[in-house]
Amino acid sequence: MSEPSIGITVNGTEHQVSTDPDRPAVDVIRDELGLTGTKLVCGAGVCGACTLQLDGTPVASCLLPAAALAGKSVTTVEGLAHPVQRAIAAHDGLQCGYCTPGFVVEGAAFVDTWRAEHGDVAPSREEIAAALAGHLCRCGAYDGIYDAIAAACTGAHDTVEADDSRPPRVEAMEKVTGRARYTTDVQLPDQLDGAIVRSASAHALVRSVKAPADTVLVDLLGADRVVRYLGQPIAAVAAATRAQAAELAQQVVVEYERRPAAVDVEHAQAPGAPVIYPTKPERKAAPNSGEGVPVLPTSWRGNVRGPSSMSWRSRTAVKRIEEAKGRNDSKLFSATFTTPVQVHTCLEPHGCVAAWQPDGSLVLHMSTQAVGEVAERAAKRWQLGEGQVRVVAEHVGGGFGAKTGLTVEAIAAVELAKAHGVPVRVVFDRSEELTTTGYRPGTHTEVQLLADDEGELAALTMDTHGDGGVAIGSGVAALGRLVYGTAPRRLRDFDVITNQSPGSPFRGPGGPPMAWAVERSVDEMAVRLGEDPIALRRRWDGNKKRHALYDWASGLPVWADRPAPGAQTGRFRRGVGVAAGNWMYFLDPGTTVELEVVDGVVVARNTVQDIGTGIRSVITGVLRDELGLPADRVRVEIGRTTAAHGPTSGGSRTTTSVAPAVHDAARLLRKELGVERGSIVDRLDQANGLRVRGKRHRDRRGYLTPFAMNGVAVGRGMSGAVHVTEVEVDTRLGKTRVTRVWAGIAAGRVYNERLAYSQCAGSIIQGVGFALHEQRHLDPATGVVLTDNLEDYRIPGIGDTPEIEVHFHQDGWDHVTGGGIGLGELATLGVAASIGNAVRNATGWSPLDLPIRPDRLLEGIHA
Amino acid sequence: MSIEAVTTALTTALAHGGEPRAGGTDVMARRGVGRATGPFVDLGVVPGMRGIEWRPDGSVRIAAMTTVAEVAVELRDAYPALAATAGALATPQIRAVATIGGNLLQRNRCWYYRNPAFSCFQSGGDGCPAREGDHLYSVVIDESPCVAPHPSSMAVALLACDAKVEVHGRDAVPVAELYSDDPSHDHQLAAGEVLLAVVLPPPFATEHGSYHRAIARAHAEWPLVEAVARLELDQDGVITAAGVAVGGVARTPLRLPEVEAALVGAHADEDTLVAAARLAEQRCTPLPGTKYKVTLLVDTVLEVLARASGVPCDIRDHARRAD
Ligand SMILES: Cc1cc2nc3c(=O)[nH]c(=O)nc-3n(C[C@H](O)[C@H](O)[C@H](O)COP(=O)(O)OP(=O)(O)OC[C@H]3O[C@@H](n4cnc5c(N)ncnc54)[C@H](O)[C@@H]3O)c2cc1C
Ligand code: SF4
Ligand code: FES
Ligand code: FES
Repeated sequence: MSEPSIGITVNGTEHQVSTDPDRPAVDVIRDELGLTGTKLVCGAGVCGACTLQLDGTPVASCLLPAAALAGKSVTTVEGLAHPVQRAIAAHDGLQCGYCTPGFVVEGAAFVDTWRAEHGDVAPSREEIAAALAGHLCRCGAYDGIYDAIAAACTGAHDTVEADDSRPPRVEAMEKVTGRARYTTDVQLPDQLDGAIVRSASAHALVRSVKAPADTVLVDLLGADRVVRYLGQPIAAVAAATRAQAAELAQQVVVEYERRPAAVDVEHAQAPGAPVIYPTKPERKAAPNSGEGVPVLPTSWRGNVRGPSSMSWRSRTAVKRIEEAKGRNDSKLFSATFTTPVQVHTCLEPHGCVAAWQPDGSLVLHMSTQAVGEVAERAAKRWQLGEGQVRVVAEHVGGGFGAKTGLTVEAIAAVELAKAHGVPVRVVFDRSEELTTTGYRPGTHTEVQLLADDEGELAALTMDTHGDGGVAIGSGVAALGRLVYGTAPRRLRDFDVITNQSPGSPFRGPGGPPMAWAVERSVDEMAVRLGEDPIALRRRWDGNKKRHALYDWASGLPVWADRPAPGAQTGRFRRGVGVAAGNWMYFLDPGTTVELEVVDGVVVARNTVQDIGTGIRSVITGVLRDELGLPADRVRVEIGRTTAAHGPTSGGSRTTTSVAPAVHDAARLLRKELGVERGSIVDRLDQANGLRVRGKRHRDRRGYLTPFAMNGVAVGRGMSGAVHVTEVEVDTRLGKTRVTRVWAGIAAGRVYNERLAYSQCAGSIIQGVGFALHEQRHLDPATGVVLTDNLEDYRIPGIGDTPEIEVHFHQDGWDHVTGGGIGLGELATLGVAASIGNAVRNATGWSPLDLPIRPDRLLEGIHA
Repeated sequence: MSIEAVTTALTTALAHGGEPRAGGTDVMARRGVGRATGPFVDLGVVPGMRGIEWRPDGSVRIAAMTTVAEVAVELRDAYPALAATAGALATPQIRAVATIGGNLLQRNRCWYYRNPAFSCFQSGGDGCPAREGDHLYSVVIDESPCVAPHPSSMAVALLACDAKVEVHGRDAVPVAELYSDDPSHDHQLAAGEVLLAVVLPPPFATEHGSYHRAIARAHAEWPLVEAVARLELDQDGVITAAGVAVGGVARTPLRLPEVEAALVGAHADEDTLVAAARLAEQRCTPLPGTKYKVTLLVDTVLEVLARASGVPCDIRDHARRAD
């Protein structure tokens, strides 16, 4: 069928495009015209990443038929040169940058309209939020976006100020102009698109897989040929376009020998439930949802694995609690807390473009948090030698733990590329992304917390059942070992195996559910003891760094003015809550950074990837400061395989691993150049080709782990955080609004305060999502994930963003090379618990289940 | 293209499983999940299908292809509740494209209907997996085998406005007649019928209006319950006319005549509004998962009555049934 041709003016240039008129406009703009600044994220009109201006009006191009472009003038992010772009860059209204083009296109139209109607005055937060209600940012860059839009409306960025040319994030201008290329944007000559054939059965033996004649089918099943969840990858196919590949995948016939399934934790624990891993080898092969920490062997009963214990004087703990029960001790608090499955929801989906080179080597463009690891594992899998795999992740649209390892999109792309002899791209759609790419396991935790007559912590027990689908390794109760001193405690983790896709590490694995149970319980104890919750924590918590944070938190005016618990009766009730958190210090001690002088420019190389944390900017900042260089004399080449090993961006280990190595490299370069102090700029022209390699030097007293495993060592000391949160609860319509959050962070030296602030703000916003909105829903009969789109899987929008203040307590890390450790996980742990405690403070009702949805709140306060 | 040419084109398209397309925001979303296959016939090509006409008798005719965003701006003074509804639904980018006709005739948002893994009454099957399954967002007034609430916010406001719709080849009918408890359709137009316009009778002499949706996030979320109130008040604060309608609670958007009757003739004060709003509760027949919508329905109605009348009702905690 010949396709009609439509005439469109795009960014001032006329085009004739022949296309199916029913295709979404976003595909025409990206695939036909190659304007990849416009992003496709939800495909459902929710997220705004695909926004473009149609005759000046912002519209969602994923729901716009191509036919509607005919005769229109279209402006994409590439066609804009607008002050709002500089404003977003200057106010760091972006992290990974994947949502940014949408915000820019909408923001530009809004700023112009606003100024025409109101003059050069700043709109209110509410007005900005309403205007940008059609955009989502998973990194949580909303705070900077508010500031940017307000500033642009006042005209502050009309001219290029000195500040604008040096935004806090060095690649910001690439991201606000749509020039930044992500894996989804890579288009190589002759490239095909792949699609995955996925299981339509929750539990089955796959008897056969048949594709139409002449179709190359790549097998993705394990050796046992068993599928254990809906959507499990079975095979992959490729075609000229993604739509054609998807159609081809539909035509593949899979013959199943169905087995009974247990699609949720209730089914899985019922008497007579089908056992999902009946044999030892199957149990051993189960995926792990923990953060690269090997799981210790433990026992299994049916679908329940565990306990894994991290107890300490457990018999004493249990004995004390039993005695307290016997005497009906009011200082024994027991409750069951639950948390939902939380899905990473990176705006850039998982994707990989694989290209085999004529010399037999392999190039992978991949949206990954682990360039180095992917290269190593790919080399092993496809038996390639040193230097024969190159991985490129120039820009990565979010990770949060979901993008580590050699994931299935890469395996599919590589195999398809091999079979077809051309480059192949595999990019997941939003439904695949929200149903098969990992998540924070759901949890069910029974807590008992006992205080003695002096109000000291006497005993703690926690039994956590993790809901990580076919994955094991939920570690929640275990983290209870790291908080509140050395009182006796019994801490047991169990996994409940179900026929669901595997959970995976997600920002501070186990941490937020642990805090939800423990920090909520500690607050209940404070109520029982009639004690200030911060004072109680200060007494129970021996950690010096957190003591400094408790002092800071109790000094906040909002804390002094907090309402008496449960004292309010009106419709709208204000509450203030607190929660503490701590986290381990991980690093990659093998990190090295190479510097080379190339044509008068200092080029820094490391495999580390920037997933929005800002490591590219940290490296640049250190080099410029240390070497006295202007911006155009430094270039950072990261996110690609090089000889200079860098960390996986996980476990908050990026900055503390890389930045000290950059310092070291800078020191060596100075030495080579013989410049002791002052700028080295004058010496660069004669130093072409000079190379040095800096190392991440060992901390004083070394590490807790004698050697690094999978590139991870555990350093000495625990970081600390205290969150103080204010909420407003509408007790009539059930809505909880987080109005203000103060975060105290003790993670030592902060390399770049603006970027660290952005990380913390993003962590807080994800915590708001976890507390109030995010939840995976399953159909109880079939186990189908109902929340497979961004309308039903609800992440916070700009209007849900509280006002945020971050306080960095930078002391106490002198033993660490560089003086600072990671904070990206730390900053999210206690957020949901502090919100829960604030709701308790406002209403007198004690929430036990997350998210605190309107129905639950109404039921709770009316009970 | 003339309307006749379009209906002819439609006849062909329908034979192949097609449907008309206005702004396309619902059609394209369903196309993405396999619930619309085309071919699509674009209505934008028909002259006169877009625009707002103010008539001498004070009534207003809104052509079907007029966008929701235009309604939000142009009707702000005359029909504040309708304009507020238009301004609150979906997102700015969607409102810029979505049409009033398409809004009234969009398909429901049940997560079973929109998931290709299921078949149900609405997709040609003969069951309702939501009823036995996860129906947290479903109806609280259970009068149809299908428990998906009607999605159209504009329909709620138009019901409260006593609006009529013009359908090609037919006399104008009240907007309520577009809907029924039919479990297999979200509207009652015959396949191939084209909605031409919505007609609003003149507004009240003193038109006070309000729209509110109960949602968890700040914006861009489908309402758990939504309500519209239009009130006419005399100088003494007595309610002389009322239009109250709700959505998110039943298979169809619902007008609440019993609430209106309790308002008209009464002085607009807290007691009146609370007593009137509570009448909505009598309709409720909640599903196991939607009990929360009973109080939410009453309180959302109270919210719009309070806002429309300007009588604050926030002091007493009416939600607690004890008082
Ligand atoms: C994120 C998001 C949030 C949303 N929130 C809301 C909300 O809160 N409230 C709400 O009401 N809606 C909401 N919507 C839905 C949106 O309002 C509708 O998709 C839109 O109004 C449909 O209008 P359209 O012109 O795009 O219709 P189309 O998609 O073009 O058509 C919709 C249907 O109506 C038929 N049709 C359209 N016009 C005619 C006509 N003149 N004659 C005969 N048949 C016709 C089409 O065949 C199709 O079946 C939301 C949508 C999104 C994406
Ligand atoms: S509620 Fe209606 S749309 Fe949803 S599954 Fe049941 S019949 Fe289908
Ligand atoms: S991709 Fe279009 S709105 Fe999300
Ligand atoms: S910066 Fe918005 S999604 Fe990453």
